[in-house]
Amino acid sequence: MATQVSLYLAGDRFLYRLNPVTKLVVVGCVIMLTFLAPGSWTPWLMFTLLGLLALSNNLARPFFRSLWRIIAPLALFLFVIHGLFSPDGQTILLTVGPLALKQEGLAFAWLMTGRILSVTGVSLLLVFTTPPAALMLALAQHGVPTALTYIMGTTLQIIPQMRARAAAIIAAQQARGLETTGSLPQRVRALRPLITPLVLSSLVDVEERAIALEARAFRANRPKTSLTDLPDPPGERLLRWLGFGLTLLIIGAGWQL
Amino acid sequence: MILVDNLSYSYPLAKTPALHEVSLTVSPGEFVAVIGANGSGKSTLCYALTGFVPHFFHGKLTGRVSVAGQDTQITPLAELVTVTGLVFQNPANQISGAKFTVYDEVAFGLENLGVPRAEMPGRIAAALSLTGLTDLADRSPYELSGGQQQRLALASVLVMAPRVLVLDEPTSQLDPLGSRDVFAVIRNLSRRGITVVMAEHKLEWIAAFADRVIMLAEGQILLDGPPAAVLTSSLLETHHVGRPRFTRLAAQAQSLGLWPANRPLPVTLAEAVAGFQSILTGRENHAD
Repeated sequence: MATQVSLYLAGDRFLYRLNPVTKLVVVGCVIMLTFLAPGSWTPWLMFTLLGLLALSNNLARPFFRSLWRIIAPLALFLFVIHGLFSPDGQTILLTVGPLALKQEGLAFAWLMTGRILSVTGVSLLLVFTTPPAALMLALAQHGVPTALTYIMGTTLQIIPQMRARAAAIIAAQQARGLETTGSLPQRVRALRPLITPLVLSSLVDVEERAIALEARAFRANRPKTSLTDLPDPPGERLLRWLGFGLTLLIIGAGWQL
Repeated sequence: MILVDNLSYSYPLAKTPALHEVSLTVSPGEFVAVIGANGSGKSTLCYALTGFVPHFFHGKLTGRVSVAGQDTQITPLAELVTVTGLVFQNPANQISGAKFTVYDEVAFGLENLGVPRAEMPGRIAAALSLTGLTDLADRSPYELSGGQQQRLALASVLVMAPRVLVLDEPTSQLDPLGSRDVFAVIRNLSRRGITVVMAEHKLEWIAAFADRVIMLAEGQILLDGPPAAVLTSSLLETHHVGRPRFTRLAAQAQSLGLWPANRPLPVTLAEAVAGFQSILTGRENHAD
């Protein structure tokens, strides 16, 4: 049976109590600092702070475990490729046969790994501490069109449904003798009889879903209310603007120095 | 409660009308079942009673449909949902997709209607209780079985307090257990006085619980009356609807001279049992 895609982990610490929009602003600020502030240590500093934040919110284990799984293979790839084959590489640190490990390539891989860790880390903290429905509601409350937040929320839940349907179609076509394994050309040939029913049935679903939404007054021309109370105190709103201003200030000052 | 006056409707680009000069009235609290072969116009009638025809499907409509005093052609769909609720076949496609728990899913319609937050918990709890979903309130709608999802669709419509409930083959995609649970909820709602119009193929269930049966064929009303009259008609066989199994059994017995020609054919198990018992008792008395 299809289940929802959500990385939310229940909790009640500091990050959980923030309005989702505040957390989105934090994500934006971290991304800006990671990419725009000078220094190859900046992304690693951001990542350290994020690690501490995860620790203080009881999320250290899932935080570091997820990052290890996502980033480790990528980081290894970055260090090997850039360390050995970077065109900017001048300073040779080590030579093994025809291969030479260069300092400039490693420095670039270091910077990129720090950036990826920082951006992925802050995004993980957002999704770990924010129920998707709360995020959609917060966006809608801040002027994002309801239709857009609906599409964002639905996408999360439709992916597993589509996956389950695709599996059913594959099984049905295999039962009719379609070969879905084997060489690449064979697999490519098998795609059409799999994709066509998937797309057509999804189109039929769209009409039924539209009817279901209409039957629930989704397009009612009156102000919507919300079951969930999502506090957004003035202090937090001020903090968002201050955080954004501080980020710009740090980036500007960094480049001045 | 419902007034359909000379309704004809054609879908866009269709050459033949899906409904042709249909007229009917439904009283408050009545439970009306609509039967007919595939393509007979059952779904279109359901859509017409809920305003989706013509608001959603467009096409050409003549005649008039009025539900609880609201003309469905004039009243916007978003307003009609508080008067007439629609539940259709595919349970999974009736889940909004925007909510992550059963409880929030039921609240979705109330949020769209702008119902004050303080009013919501009571209405949601009542809808969940009516559909037997109270214990599943914290589950994801996508983790429910088909029958549970269909009851969720019912709860999501009921929470908006419609005066008429229109159901388009609500159990056609469910297993027997899921169908039984959904039918139990519908029967309960009908007993509570809500007006129900239900397109359905399961004739035994209709025979047991509907007040009235309407049979459609090629977009027209062919039969309209109590279950005992409509479900025993031979027209059901000629229009590929079939008759309830108890009726077929008694009809076969009648052709063999085992069921008296003057005795009405049964539509329910209880009627069939009573009929055969009375015949057997009569024979025993005759033999004595």
